[in-house]
This record gives sequence, structure tokens and C-alpha cells, in this order.
Amino acid sequence: MKLRRIAAVASKEWREVTRDRMFLLLAFLMPALWMVVFGYGLVLDVEHISFSVVDRDHSAFSRDYLYRFSQSRYFSFQRELMSEGEADAWLQSGRARAVIIVPEKFQERLLSGQPANIQTLIDGTFPLRADITKGYVIAINSAFNEDLLVDHLARSRGLSREEAQRRLHRITLEVRYLYNEEVRSAWSTVPALIMLSLMVSSPLLTALGVVREKETGSIYNIYSATVSRLEFLAGKLVPYVMISVVNVVVLWLMAVLLFAVPFKGNLLFFLSTSVLFVLASTGIGLIVSLLVSTQQAALIITVVIATVPTILFSGLVVPVSSLGQGAQLQAHLFPGMYYTNIVRGTFLKNVGPSVLWTDVLALAVYGAVLGAIGYRLFTKRPRV
Amino acid sequence: MRSSDDIAIRRVVVWWRRLAVMTRKDLLQLFRDIPLMGFLVYSFTFSVYVTGNGLQTQLRNAGLLVYDADRSASSRELIHRFHAPYFRVDGELVRPEEGFERLDQGGSMLVLDIPARFHESLAAGEPVALQLLVDTTNAPQGLSAAGYATRIVRQFDLEAAITTIGLAAAPSTDLPMIVSDHRVWYNQDQNETWFESISHLLRMITIFAMLLPAAALVREKERGTVEQLLVSPLTPLQIMLPKVLAMTLVILGATAVALFGVMLPVFGVPIRGSIILFFSLTALFVVATAGMGVFAATITRNQAQVGMMTLLVVAPMLLLSGITTPLEAMPDWVQYLMALSPLRYFIEIAHGILLKGTGLDVFWKQVLAMAGLGGSLFGFGMWRFRRQFR
Repeated sequence: MKLRRIAAVASKEWREVTRDRMFLLLAFLMPALWMVVFGYGLVLDVEHISFSVVDRDHSAFSRDYLYRFSQSRYFSFQRELMSEGEADAWLQSGRARAVIIVPEKFQERLLSGQPANIQTLIDGTFPLRADITKGYVIAINSAFNEDLLVDHLARSRGLSREEAQRRLHRITLEVRYLYNEEVRSAWSTVPALIMLSLMVSSPLLTALGVVREKETGSIYNIYSATVSRLEFLAGKLVPYVMISVVNVVVLWLMAVLLFAVPFKGNLLFFLSTSVLFVLASTGIGLIVSLLVSTQQAALIITVVIATVPTILFSGLVVPVSSLGQGAQLQAHLFPGMYYTNIVRGTFLKNVGPSVLWTDVLALAVYGAVLGAIGYRLFTKRPRV
Repeated sequence: MRSSDDIAIRRVVVWWRRLAVMTRKDLLQLFRDIPLMGFLVYSFTFSVYVTGNGLQTQLRNAGLLVYDADRSASSRELIHRFHAPYFRVDGELVRPEEGFERLDQGGSMLVLDIPARFHESLAAGEPVALQLLVDTTNAPQGLSAAGYATRIVRQFDLEAAITTIGLAAAPSTDLPMIVSDHRVWYNQDQNETWFESISHLLRMITIFAMLLPAAALVREKERGTVEQLLVSPLTPLQIMLPKVLAMTLVILGATAVALFGVMLPVFGVPIRGSIILFFSLTALFVVATAGMGVFAATITRNQAQVGMMTLLVVAPMLLLSGITTPLEAMPDWVQYLMALSPLRYFIEIAHGILLKGTGLDVFWKQVLAMAGLGGSLFGFGMWRFRRQFR
């Protein structure tokens, strides 16, 4: 293994990359652009759920109850409907995601001290949205109930409202949010987006770079050259790893300066684990490139095995702990999850190697295993 | 007269035959790429299965640690109310400071701190404060967990207060309270496998529909084989359309495999609407999405470029079109931007046909938007392609 040969392969590869202006531009632009689009766009606060009402009571109470929904920022009132049949049509067409039905004698029952039923129809096609909608309905409902109970208690026992309130409300739950004290969506997505951008771009760059050589046939020059397998692979990967490392720095700067995410951890630790992650994810691209012979296949396969599991199973949107078993397994098979722990840990939690060593170890093992497989798979004497 | 008619008919026959031959050529080229076909099968079967089975976007199993300084009937009763599916009690802490360490390590998400004399205070009607630490490195999930916890504690408080005060024998019968009854339609059990498997199918269709024709078209350009085709009697449309047709056929086949091989028998996804309509509109969606790919192919010079270019567009489509997170969660500008994504319309259509059993009368607007979008992208790509090889 000679450094000079590695440098020669690397400089050839680098020239090829820089000659293709558009490719070079996209290699740097894609992660940065994603960061902007997802950083500002991937907000997960569900608001303005469109809803309609069927009010059969038309009383002061029913209007008061429904008003609490329409003035909440979580709901967006569409219009009043006449019948349940109409409610059905509105749900079917998606014009309303929820319909609240107030029965007759709603006010009468409540005033006489009896419970009253309210029915809420929810569009269940998107379970997460249905679940969130249900949560909001329950919250608004229980706030209204509490007022009703306080009134009831005050009236029946001859207490003041404050006293009644005090008697019914004895436990306060003091919630303290840790790590992301203001609970900003961007603070939790932006660090994970560094992971997403790298996880997608570095294998893709590598896979395309290597397969291009196979597809155009220029790899035969390498087969007949004195350069060894290891030298070729190392030299080939250097430019792509370099691009990704530059991207790490750019993305980190964007997170800290543009999105103002606090960086509480150790920068050196973050950067070194990031390089490790880039190496591990580059390994995926390498393996793909050795298994296929067309860039079309390399492109699709890399996207299917790098992008999709990363979006779904790396903790970006859904925490790994709430995944099913098969999906958990898939999460552990890809480096994205480990790096998400590291990124969120160093950005928000200020934890270091003492806590994150398992993740670092996993990335190192991952990179080493992929490298070894890649070395075994690559041959200078292909059978075709 | 007759002979000119004959010529005209023959022309049409020849035109279609050329199209058929080219489509066959593109199909052959696809099927020969064995790794690619292997991944196509994987994407539409195993991958759909794992995602449908494993992805849970609602809060599930949020790890809760408890520091119970009271160890009374009340505190146990309260802890008992934090249960599956939302919470998972990860154990009790011996020291209160341990909570921070455990959250630092990850694994658990919440720490509930119950003070001493909790039970006595409640019995005496005195105010009492509990503390909940929430890990918000994943902000939406943290908020959601805190919301559930608040709801549980509030309900516990209210029920205990009603019994202590002696307002009613049972809290639900003799009190002026509103019982909110929810009925979730189209998916009563809020079965996430239906939604996730449909979403994943759409995800895969989008990726293949965009990337396959784009890469195939650029490959011909890159290798120069397109020059050969252009000097042949073929028109540019006859070169481009077969690619899209071949991919559409393959993708429709794969969709059928996913639907009838995995989603229907394994997950029991209902098909409440017309299956023919579903496949026709899937074809329209594939062509519309392919239009984006074709467009990308005309502004790039090699496969590496087109790969990056399409991916640049595909990832935001996948994440922001409403198949991963609800559209209601997104800022206005994203919702406007996503008006350009055919996927945004197709998700409504797929849910409509499969889950709601609706037809064209309900979602004709979405179909129109998708057709318009696909048509204009395709037309624009076609125009650029013609101009490049004039």
C-alpha cells in the first residue's frame, strides 16, 4: 500500500468530480437546501384541524361549548351542518376532519345536574392526526367539564367559585421540559436533519462515483494498473468523504447560526463521530456500487436502502422505542439511529463519550465491517 | 381515395407498432437489470410489510421512571394509571437525582416525582405538587407524553376530589358532566398498519416513478444511444413515451403484488371503492410523477447529476406531502409548495378509494390537479427534449 498511489487515484477522482460543475454544486447544495426546507417546513405541531358541527340543541351551553373549539388554534371551524348525513359527506370528502354532534336537551340535562353526551366523529384515515384530534377534543372537553363541576359544587354547597375550584383542584403537575426547554420543534428536528442529509448524500455520491467507472468501462484501466485493490478503494473514497466532511461543518454552522439550536456538547467529539458516521454511510454506497453494474440501479437501490429507512426508522420523526419489532431491527441495522443519538446528545443534552460510547462503537464496527465486505467484494479480475 | 386511406391506416399502425417495439425494448432493458428488479420486489413486498407492521407514529411506550417518596395507596393508584399503550413504567428510582442521569442516558423519556405525604395531603384536601421531568429532544413526542400525563393526573385528582367531598357516588352518573364519545371513522381501531402500509406503497411508487425514467433517459443521452434513436424514423415522443409506459407497467405490476400479496392478506386493508379506478389513477399518478423525472432528465447531462437532482426533489415530496406527517402540521408555505407535488393529491385519492370507499364524484378536483400537473410537466419535458435534439 503506497500513499502516493492513493493520492494519485484520489486526485484523478477529484478532478472528475470538479469537472462536473453541476454534480459538484448539487453535492454541496442538496444537504444545505434540505436543511432549510425541512428545518423550517418539518414542523410537527398539528393545528387548524378543520371541523364542523351539528348543533341540535341551539342553547347557550352548546354555543359556549362549541365556541371553545372554534376559538382554539388547534381547530378551524368550517360551518354548521344540518344532519348526520351531511356530516358523513363532509368527512368523506375531507372538508372536515372532525364533526361534533350536540344532542337535544344538552343544556337541560346539564342544568338539572345530569350528565350529557357529546359525539365526535373523527376521520381515522390518518391515525396520528385522529389521535391528536382526539387528544385536543378530550382536553377542551375536560376544561369545560371542570368549569361545570366548579359551578355545580359552588351552587350545591354554597361556596365561592374560588373555594370550589380549590377543593376540586388539589394536585398540580409541574412539568419541566429538559434539554429543549422551550420545546421548539426545530431544535429537535434540525440536529437530526444533519444526520438525514449526510446519510443520504454520502452513500449516493460514492455509489454513483464508483458505478460510473464500471458503466463507462474506464475501470478496466484500473484492473490493468499496478494500483492495488485497497489503494484504489481508499483513493476513490477520499474525495467523497471530503465533500461530506465539508458538509458536516456547513450543516453544523447552519444549525447553530441559522436555526439557533444550542450546541451544548463537545465540538471535537461531535466532529470526530461525524467523520466516523460519514465513513460508515459511505460504506453503504461502496457495497451497493460493487453489487450493481448500472448507475440507474445504484441510484434506486441507494435511495431505497439509505433514504427510506433513514426517514422512517432513525428517530427523526418517530422515536425508535415506539417502533414494532421488525422495524426496530431495521433501525439497528442502519447507522442513522446511532448517529441521531449522538447528534441530539451532543447538541441538546451535553452528554459525551461516557454515555454515547455504545453508539460510537456501533458506528465504528459498522464502518469496519462494511469496509471489509467492500474489500472482499471488489476484485480486479471480474468474471464477466 | 381508398389507397390514401390505406396509407393513413398503415401510418397509424406503424406508429403504434414502433411504440410497442420501443416499449418492449425498454421493458427488456429493465428486466435485465437483476439487482434493480430484486430491489423492486423487496421494496413492494418486504419493505411494505416491515413498515406497515412496525411504524407507530402515535405516542407508544414512552418510558416512565418513578420516584415515589410516599409509597401509599394513592401514589400506587396514580402510578398504576400510567399504562400501555402510551406509557411503559421503566422502574422506580431510589434517589431523586437519579432521574437526570437516567434521562441523560436516554431510553426513558419521563420522570415522575411523587412527594412524601401525598396520600395524607389528598385526604386532608390540601394542595400538593407533583413534578414531571420530560425529555424533549424529540419535541412533539415529549409534548404529547406531557399532555397524556397531565390528563391522567387531572382525572385522578378530580375523581379523588369528588369522592372526598362526597359530591356523587360515581363520578359519571349524577353530575353535570359532558361525556365525550368519539367515533373514529374509516378505521375504527385506528389501526396504523393500514395507513403506514398505504403510505409506504405510495412512497415506493413515487421513488420508482420518478427515478427510473429519469435515469433511463439520461443513460441514453450519456451513452449517445439516443443519437441512434433520433436518426431512426422514431419521433422524440416515440422515444420518451415508451420509457414511461414500460416503467408504468412495471410499477403497476409491483403495486398489484404489494396490494394483493401483502396489504390485503396480511394487514387486511379493505378496498372499499373501485379497484379498477384505483389502478387507473395509480397509472395517472405514475405518469405525472414520471413527468417530473423526465423534466429533470432534460436539464441534466449525466446519471449522477440526474440522480442528485431527482433526489433533491423526492425527499421533500416524501416528507412533506402528508404521507409521513399530517398536512395540518405544516406551515402555510409548505402547504402551498406541496400543491406542486402530485403525491399530495394522490394520498387523498388512495385513502378515498381504499379506506373511505369514495369515487370520482368526491375527489375529481384532486384527479384534475394531478392530471394538469403531470400533463404540463410532461409537455415541458417533451418540449425541452425536442429542442435539445433538433
